[in-house]
Amino acid sequence: MNYMPGTASLIQDIDKKHLVLLRDGRTLIGYLRSIDQFANLVLHQTVERIHVGKKYGDIPRGIFVVRGENVVLLGEIDLEKESDTPLQQVSIEEILEEQRVEQQAKQESEKLKVQALKERGLSVPRGDTLDEY
Amino acid sequence: QSLEDCPLDEDEDAFQALGEEDEDIDQFNDDTFGAGAVDDDWQEAHERLAELEDKAGASREPDGPVGNDGDVLGDPEDALAERLTRLVIDSELEDPAIMQAVHTRGPMQQPGGLNSSIWDSSAMLQRIRGPLLTQEMPSVSVLDYALPQRPPQARDEERDPSERALPRRSSSPIIGSPPVRAVPIGTPPKQAAIPNFNQQILCPKPVHIRATMQQRYPAPYGERMSPNQLCNVPNSSLLGHPFSHSVSPVLTHLQRAQLLGGAQVKPLPAGRMSPSQFARVSGLVGSPLPSVNPKLLQGRVGQMMSPAGGFRAFFGAPPAPPPSQLPHPPGPGSHLQNLRSVPSLSRHPACSPRPSVTVPALPRPQPQMFRPDTTHLHPQHRRLLHQRQQQNRNQHRSLNGSGGDRGGHRSSHQEQIRKDPYANLMLQREKDWVSKIQMMQLQSTDPYLDDYYYQNYFQKLEKLAAAEEVHGDGPKKERTKLITPQVAKLEHTYKPVQFEGSLGKLTVSSVNNPRKMIDAVVTSRSEDDETKEKQVRDKRRQTLVTIEKTYSLLLDVEDYERRYLLSLEGERPALMGERKQKICDMYDNLRGKAPGQDRPSDDHFMQIMCIRKGKRLVARILPFLAPEQAADVLMATARNLPFLIKKDAQDEVLPCLLRPFSHVLYHLPLGTVTSLVQQLTNLPQSAAAPTNLHLTAVLQNKFGLSLLYLVLSRGEELQSSDTNTELMQDNQWTELMLMATRELLRIPQGALAKPVSIPSNLISLFSRYVDQQKLNLLETKL
Repeated sequence: MNYMPGTASLIQDIDKKHLVLLRDGRTLIGYLRSIDQFANLVLHQTVERIHVGKKYGDIPRGIFVVRGENVVLLGEIDLEKESDTPLQQVSIEEILEEQRVEQQAKQESEKLKVQALKERGLSVPRGDTLDEY
Repeated sequence: QSLEDCPLDEDEDAFQALGEEDEDIDQFNDDTFGAGAVDDDWQEAHERLAELEDKAGASREPDGPVGNDGDVLGDPEDALAERLTRLVIDSELEDPAIMQAVHTRGPMQQPGGLNSSIWDSSAMLQRIRGPLLTQEMPSVSVLDYALPQRPPQARDEERDPSERALPRRSSSPIIGSPPVRAVPIGTPPKQAAIPNFNQQILCPKPVHIRATMQQRYPAPYGERMSPNQLCNVPNSSLLGHPFSHSVSPVLTHLQRAQLLGGAQVKPLPAGRMSPSQFARVSGLVGSPLPSVNPKLLQGRVGQMMSPAGGFRAFFGAPPAPPPSQLPHPPGPGSHLQNLRSVPSLSRHPACSPRPSVTVPALPRPQPQMFRPDTTHLHPQHRRLLHQRQQQNRNQHRSLNGSGGDRGGHRSSHQEQIRKDPYANLMLQREKDWVSKIQMMQLQSTDPYLDDYYYQNYFQKLEKLAAAEEVHGDGPKKERTKLITPQVAKLEHTYKPVQFEGSLGKLTVSSVNNPRKMIDAVVTSRSEDDETKEKQVRDKRRQTLVTIEKTYSLLLDVEDYERRYLLSLEGERPALMGERKQKICDMYDNLRGKAPGQDRPSDDHFMQIMCIRKGKRLVARILPFLAPEQAADVLMATARNLPFLIKKDAQDEVLPCLLRPFSHVLYHLPLGTVTSLVQQLTNLPQSAAAPTNLHLTAVLQNKFGLSLLYLVLSRGEELQSSDTNTELMQDNQWTELMLMATRELLRIPQGALAKPVSIPSNLISLFSRYVDQQKLNLLETKL
């Protein structure tokens, strides 16, 4: 019995475990406890999951209140299938290190790209307000 | 001297208004942050609320919690409301989006009406009770406040004062959040040590789980160490398996808490308990506490550990630590093993055999113990469902003794996951509130305008379902449909609210009446200083405007069919009349309305046809025009075809006209066809001219050639259908045909355009006029 058939509403999703992707690139996993009309979310027992390559690490964060406009997407996690992943969980320390390395590599390649473009007389505008991550 | 001339008098009024505003601001501040906001003894307030909640849950009294909530804030509110309304002079605030002062009794007695706040609390809430499946619901609830029939005066009398005033800050939660409680949720307690904290900390789930949580999570942000730090700290919660520690630290913590009466325990756990939890917990406060002993706690905690398997699954596979550390392998299934290890601990009779987190020893209080995944169901349905489930469970329990354990593991495993101790933090009331807002957002005066694709999609689905039903003989699949109430379109004339003694209009803008920022006035330029270029530009702009206006008319006309189906019988003639009128208007727009003139010039029409959108517009309008009008358009096009072709070189949109033209052609009588060909070939021209530029241009253009073929084909049709028509005797036609054929022959193959389609009867047409040799030539060309 659908609460509001034909519509997309988060009411059905309450008290279920969700994965939420934010605009700044963070991935949060937690139990969705409360919502409102703006799709602001209250996540409980939230864990921030950092993915680098095939590895991931979880940082427990507690309770999150997410403003709706910052959510890119969210989806319910099937508890039975959750552990059925090819990804390898590592410690937080390790994953943070990996992330740092990845970021560095990305920055360097970005720098090279900008340099190359500059040499050719093109410039890429700084996307400060864009959700680039 | 200029200073003295300053209009201080006028400013005085403004200052006065400001002064009054200041007072209000102080009042607002006071209510939000000061004494008025928070009740000192929040504990008692919570208890009161909890009792109210119970009462409300039991009796479903409409006036229940919210009414009482209102009372707490009522009196200071009314004073301010009165003051405000004395200032307001305009009595017609019809904007539902503008915030209304809370007047809880008012909405109760007179639900609906235009002036009710859209976030009106329980009056609306009570009515919207779950999915709006039946037709009756919308008509009762949401349409009510949209009906314009209630006379404004009656409403004014009743709820005059507070309606038009701005609400006070303390009531703004009505707008953007769930109903106001006496104490905002999450208010930290004022005192750390609280008399009945002792009891509360031993209330079943929240505290226990908190304890384990604190063990595992770093709780408040400030105190948290960075993950890196935490990793280095031995025994930190981030490392290793959450349950690798034995049960004892937890117990110690709890025991300590118990013994010291909670003084040493951080106030966080209790502070974090929401009133909704209190509501459930308060009823249980008295009971199992006296019998607390370490063993019970141990058992309890052991039990707690298993539903914490819900948390476990949440963590998935824990990181690195070797499995040897643990008595049992980690993983989502491990709580099952926990479960097995637990029974050894929990022999206390007060503990139910099923690891129930919520109420260990009490008989289940009926409404509260619903499973969280059934929250979306209608309350009655839910009750029935649970009764049935309980019956089944009882049956199972009696049937399988020990075997039931193993079989029961599966279900209990799922049940554990579902018996989430933090479930239903969001009350049903709050969920209804959110869905109410969502339903309100779905209201529309013209659903086809607002959500065209949704309407179409659902129509398609319904058609499919209907088709399936016809074919299949299975039971009708009950498909729930969302019935959105359709609000009648209301014309709001917005009159800005004016306060007494203030200058100008108050900017109370809202969604429905956005503030007018600029007073834009249209000024027309004088004719003198316009250059030729400007004139041309303006003319083009005018044409564009004409096109746009005609397009709007066209969209309306196209829409009439749908409206016709939806309308009542009596309205239909009027609709048809409107439609006709619009069609006439369109035609006038196309051809250039020139009263008194005989429409000698095609100028207007040409202007339109020079613009790509104009051509498309004409193509769309043609089906609606009367035959004569359509023929007229066709003529004009043919007459000026070379010009159009030239202009169309870039856009190449002319072919879009072919189809409507061909439709028109089918209905054309002979004479028209003849003159059409004439236009196309641009005869009579001096026969001495070696080349017929007009015709050449026509032939060399795709559209022109296709059109010519179409016309010729039509002529041929007419000719062949009526054997003894005047066509045979018609010199003009023969002449035209000869001309056409001659031209076709003359033109080199490469220059001939590629027509869209070649009608089949052209050969027979030509065969009447040319000999075999030329016929063969023509055939190769075609």
